[in-house]
Amino acid sequence: MTELHWLSATDIADRFAKRTLSPLELADALLARIAKLDPQLNAFIRLDPDQVRADARTAEREITSGQRRSSLHGIPVGIKDIIDVRGVPTTCHSKILVDNVAKADAAAVARLRAAGAIILGKLSTHEFAFGGPSFDLPFPPARNPWNRAHHPGGSSSGSGAALAAGFFPLALGTDTAGSIRNPASCCGIVGLKPTYGRVSRRGAFPLAFTLDHVGPMARTVADTALLLDAISGHDAGDPGSRAFAAGASGALNQDVHGLRIGFVRHFHETDMPADPEVGKAVETVAVTLAKEGAVVSTVVLPNLKELAAINRTILHGEAWSIHARWLRERPGDYARSTRRRLFTGAFLGAGDYVDAQRRRLQVIAAFEAAFRDVDVLLTASSMDPPCRIDDAEAVARTYPRQARTPFNVTGHPALAMMCGLSASGLPLSVQFAGRFGDDATVLRVAAAYERAAGWNERHPALAS
Amino acid sequence: MTEQELEVIARAAGLEKALTEFRDDLRIAAKQADDLRRALAKPLGPADEPWPPMRTPEP
Repeated sequence: MTELHWLSATDIADRFAKRTLSPLELADALLARIAKLDPQLNAFIRLDPDQVRADARTAEREITSGQRRSSLHGIPVGIKDIIDVRGVPTTCHSKILVDNVAKADAAAVARLRAAGAIILGKLSTHEFAFGGPSFDLPFPPARNPWNRAHHPGGSSSGSGAALAAGFFPLALGTDTAGSIRNPASCCGIVGLKPTYGRVSRRGAFPLAFTLDHVGPMARTVADTALLLDAISGHDAGDPGSRAFAAGASGALNQDVHGLRIGFVRHFHETDMPADPEVGKAVETVAVTLAKEGAVVSTVVLPNLKELAAINRTILHGEAWSIHARWLRERPGDYARSTRRRLFTGAFLGAGDYVDAQRRRLQVIAAFEAAFRDVDVLLTASSMDPPCRIDDAEAVARTYPRQARTPFNVTGHPALAMMCGLSASGLPLSVQFAGRFGDDATVLRVAAAYERAAGWNERHPALAS
Repeated sequence: MTEQELEVIARAAGLEKALTEFRDDLRIAAKQADDLRRALAKPLGPADEPWPPMRTPEP
């Protein structure tokens, strides 16, 4: 029988419905595990066990009396600490905002509460969702449950680490240059950057307005889809919000027979040559999907380094606009790695920013052209397994070696998930991306791969 | 970028305090900006529009 902490949200919902598990029983089990293991992982910035138990009791009462609100009712969700939860600080893991108490829930959190989900604490991030793992901040950086000496990716680092550690089944992250998909890759879980505009950004502290996304993270594709459905929807409070067809979960059980998958090999073969273990693992994904009936072909897109530079130029310009006042007045209150990155925007001109936005339109056109011939793109995610967290040089060298930023530039949905383990026992990852608004087909392919490969059954062995 | 150029740009951006306390960080940031500019050196045509297109309210 599966231990409670490894249950998926869909399994939990099933047990709640059958009354074989109660929200309070689950909350108690998870809180006990967090108390025992989080001191090794630093996934949480803030956790209020009494409030969690009170919310679990309320959910239990409502479900028992026949007032079940949704499949998420009574299910705990962790929240990255750049997303507002009413009445508690949104610190962004920074001295700058350490006392920044949120006056209202972020739009995605409000949707979760309406669905009856239990908000299970605020989670570590890279400072302001930028930078990297830092040791000069008010809270320690999260660590990788597969090996505590290694980083868990970021910036949604606490979300990834906590999911992999079995602290809860669902989490919210944000993604401006891969920050949902990086921890998903490093921690061996699933992370989806939805189509731009599908999930409201209202109440998530901005890093770069035109690249930012709020999205779901989980241990299974079905849970990722379940969470996406709960947080999606048009919001007039987010100028980038759009109404899309609901029902990301709808196609999960369909096979991939006849689906056309474009394998972007040059990203990891020549543009940013990947670690051989990564290259081999991603090739194996293509073979697996072909055996499942997909038609896999090679697709050529613009050079990954150019795509990354477009993302970075836009990101630095927009982030400078947000942080300039604090950088002028309180530069010493940022971590060194964040400060160095944020200063970059001061050295880029308006022309650089506009040029990047002009190139962005060309890139969107190139990806749209590719999607006329294929249904889903398959790429590497991280080009290297996660390195040691205390090796600043290796972190600086490997963090940019990834294929996630193109989809922040274009806005297409993109999902990262585990596709192997390195010889040293660290997760390897793959990425699937789909047409604008077609998150459902991305999830369908990911679910088919998950069924065939079964990596979601593997968990880190945590010393208790 | 020369030290003099770095100082001029940093002062114009209001980063006097950072110039005093974190000059090394500014040097690294300036190099990052130069690297990005070099990575995007391919010429654009005069008619290449930026994203997103201008949007006006419905009449």
